[in-house]
Amino acid sequence: MLRFVLRRCMLVLPSLFGLLVVTFLLIRVVPSDPAMAMAGDAATPEQIERLRQQYGLDRPIWEQFVSYVGKVATLDLGESAFSRRAVAVDIAQRLPATLTLTFCALAISVFVGVPLGVVAGLSHNTWPDYLLRVFSVMGIAVAAFWFAIMLQLFFSMELGWLPLRGELSATIQRPPRITGFVVADAAIAGRFDVVADALRHLVLPALTLSLGGLATIVRFTRAGVLDTLQQDFVFYERAMGYRRRRLVWIYVLRNSVTATVTQIGLLFGGLIAGGVVVEAIFDWPGIGSYTVQAILTGDRQVMLAVTLLIGVVYAGVNILTDLAHGLLDPRLMERG
Amino acid sequence: MSGQRKSGGPMLGRRQAAALAAGALVAGTMRSVQAADASTFVSGFALPMNLDPHQVYDVPMQSMMLNAYDNLYRYQNDPPQIVPWLAESHTVSDDGLSWEFKLRPNIKFHDGSPMTAEDVVYSFRRVLALALAPAGAFLKILKPDNVAAPDPLTVRFKLETSYAPFFAAIPSISIVNPRQIEPNVKNGDWGKSWLASNGAGSGSYRIVPAGYRPLEYLDMEINEGHFLGWSHNPKPVKKIAYRPTKETSTRVLALLNGSLDCTDPNLPADQVEQINASKIAYVQKDVVMRTFVIRMNNTKPPFNNLNARLCFAHAFNYMGFINDILGGYATRDPYPMPENLWGIPKDAKGYDYDLKKAKEYYAKAVAEGAPMKRPLELHVQSENEQSVQGAQLFQSDLAQIGINLKVVGNIWSNLTTAAAKPDTTPDMWVHWVSTYFVDPENWVGQMYDSQFHGTWKASSYYKNDQVDALLRKARAAVKQEERAPLYEEAIRKIMADSPDIWIYNSMQLQGLNKRVKGRRFCTVGQGAEMRWITLDG
Repeated sequence: MLRFVLRRCMLVLPSLFGLLVVTFLLIRVVPSDPAMAMAGDAATPEQIERLRQQYGLDRPIWEQFVSYVGKVATLDLGESAFSRRAVAVDIAQRLPATLTLTFCALAISVFVGVPLGVVAGLSHNTWPDYLLRVFSVMGIAVAAFWFAIMLQLFFSMELGWLPLRGELSATIQRPPRITGFVVADAAIAGRFDVVADALRHLVLPALTLSLGGLATIVRFTRAGVLDTLQQDFVFYERAMGYRRRRLVWIYVLRNSVTATVTQIGLLFGGLIAGGVVVEAIFDWPGIGSYTVQAILTGDRQVMLAVTLLIGVVYAGVNILTDLAHGLLDPRLMERG
Repeated sequence: MSGQRKSGGPMLGRRQAAALAAGALVAGTMRSVQAADASTFVSGFALPMNLDPHQVYDVPMQSMMLNAYDNLYRYQNDPPQIVPWLAESHTVSDDGLSWEFKLRPNIKFHDGSPMTAEDVVYSFRRVLALALAPAGAFLKILKPDNVAAPDPLTVRFKLETSYAPFFAAIPSISIVNPRQIEPNVKNGDWGKSWLASNGAGSGSYRIVPAGYRPLEYLDMEINEGHFLGWSHNPKPVKKIAYRPTKETSTRVLALLNGSLDCTDPNLPADQVEQINASKIAYVQKDVVMRTFVIRMNNTKPPFNNLNARLCFAHAFNYMGFINDILGGYATRDPYPMPENLWGIPKDAKGYDYDLKKAKEYYAKAVAEGAPMKRPLELHVQSENEQSVQGAQLFQSDLAQIGINLKVVGNIWSNLTTAAAKPDTTPDMWVHWVSTYFVDPENWVGQMYDSQFHGTWKASSYYKNDQVDALLRKARAAVKQEERAPLYEEAIRKIMADSPDIWIYNSMQLQGLNKRVKGRRFCTVGQGAEMRWITLDG
């Protein structure tokens, strides 16, 4: 298994390098001059020129690229032109928020979507199936920002159950930073009021983000289950008198979710991208809003670093997906 | 199959129902507690790019630094007056070259160390050495060695040339504490990286570094030992929690459910009614000094032709835009700077919306060979709905007189980059000019003196030798009485040349919770100074 993982990791490297080249070139196409943006509204041309030299923006592109790759290889992602902080520090502060949101959304999608998909598969062409079909089409079609505002209106404004936005209430003292994950840090500090506050802030954004994935997973699982139910082993096991619950939730499910697992891996990228909108609406302090800001202000170091990071995360998730496939079907692992 | 079907549904239904019920129970028992805490002010003001007031100088920075830092003089009140702050008084020599400021005694920084004239000198030298945004007004006229502290309470500046806006720009420089910055200097960076995420000031509030994440949130706590004391405000805000919002809908909802005490001051006009109808919040309107202008690139035909420019100036539906699109929340300003600032020639008449006149000028321009049929581009700031709407309105009117205008979406950083050269500057583009310092120099001085070509403010590439001479003379004179007539004369000439289309002076709309009392407004900082504020309840 170790060899399998290592092999996958090696395959990722050229993809990431390619990503870096493409992003570097694309960013150069954008006419915005980071020196100008850095110098600020009231800057003179001399101030701007000085910054251009200081940051090597006047040198040829290949030279800039080589120097950038050299730095990335030593894990130096440079400095944000605006926050004046190391990009790595900014990302380290923000990534936990995005990961928390993404994984929670994914968990909701999987733990609700897979059972619903099984139900839909089992109730093929009867009302639960129709109902779920309507629901999943809606889930894919509904715009995240609309759904988010509806949730805010209902749960925050009308019922007052859940907070409207942010990661923590403004009046709450933040727990000391250890892992960067607010919930975990609060738990470590023994501040369970903060844990509860953080979890309540998480509900609406995670729910919004999960919607599209949930609908997709329902559809894929349904298709998988329908397929599996046609197979001989199901008839055999039923004939052998296996209990239905065991038959459906263990044997049928395990054989049905291969496509779903692939889909989950793919969804992850979508969730990080979709997170941009959700983070903006809920003022969630993650990578999404950081990226948007970087694009609007032409902060190249941040754009490059974030793209690379998402590439790495995506690659990581894909390796995990392959592993999951291997665990579901050990034959794959042997083939390598 | 039918057996499975029957059992499949309910089995999951029960589990789901149980999970949902449990979720509802948890949520229901924990009804959301809003920011009812009367000592914490939750502010929706935007945060600056970073926290160093010597690196960033824009509207969000102004609103942050007024609370965390002090300056020698400060703008207060509406209309803005420059008043002594850290300094008690100042004197200036007749030639306008020597300026001396007397500091108040017994001022302390947040770390408890006393502030002396040496710290002021350090602050100005740091600004000049970093040479970033706030240095713009000083770089050409002030050498680091010419700031001196002859005694602990006196700061002396010797300028290279007489430059009247020097005094108007004094409030843009925050005084920082070298004893906190020096230990954090790396490779001679003047503590740039460190101060970007920390505080080293003496202001009414102290930055809490652990409560800062760039552009997301910032916490500040009260500085009980501030030099002005707190006797004027018996119940000040103890903690400011900056929690800027990114989306208008969230911003308004947060204001209406009480979790935000104020929004940023750029609320869209279409939100006013909804907020004013609520029990908890209202919209505060204030006239600010922030002009809205459509730039014309005077180097590109047909804009190098006066009649062509006059044609465009008569084709914009000023009042229609202000009344119908902005809901009347702006003042028509036909001048190249805010109409509420000194130096405006009140006798000068601006241009009105008149398509008939526009057509006449069109014909004259064509007769003079101006390519009026050329498809033109107007670049807007896509993220700003108002600039897009203004451009579309203009587009439809121009179409009526046979001018083909294309509206192009763009972003601020691209536009300012493009504006660095005449040939990359768009035919036309839209922007605002905010108050960086309250002086005609901030508008006409930097927009129409040809020595500023290459900066976004001067992006119409207008050049008139007489105007250059007048603006330079006005800049060098010290007394406002001498300067005002020079600006008036320059503005008359600029208006006659019609290099740009001046549209309105802004009215800012800010949503405020009704528990906020004592707010004082000044166009510099846009009412963000927190030391006057008390929260009811």
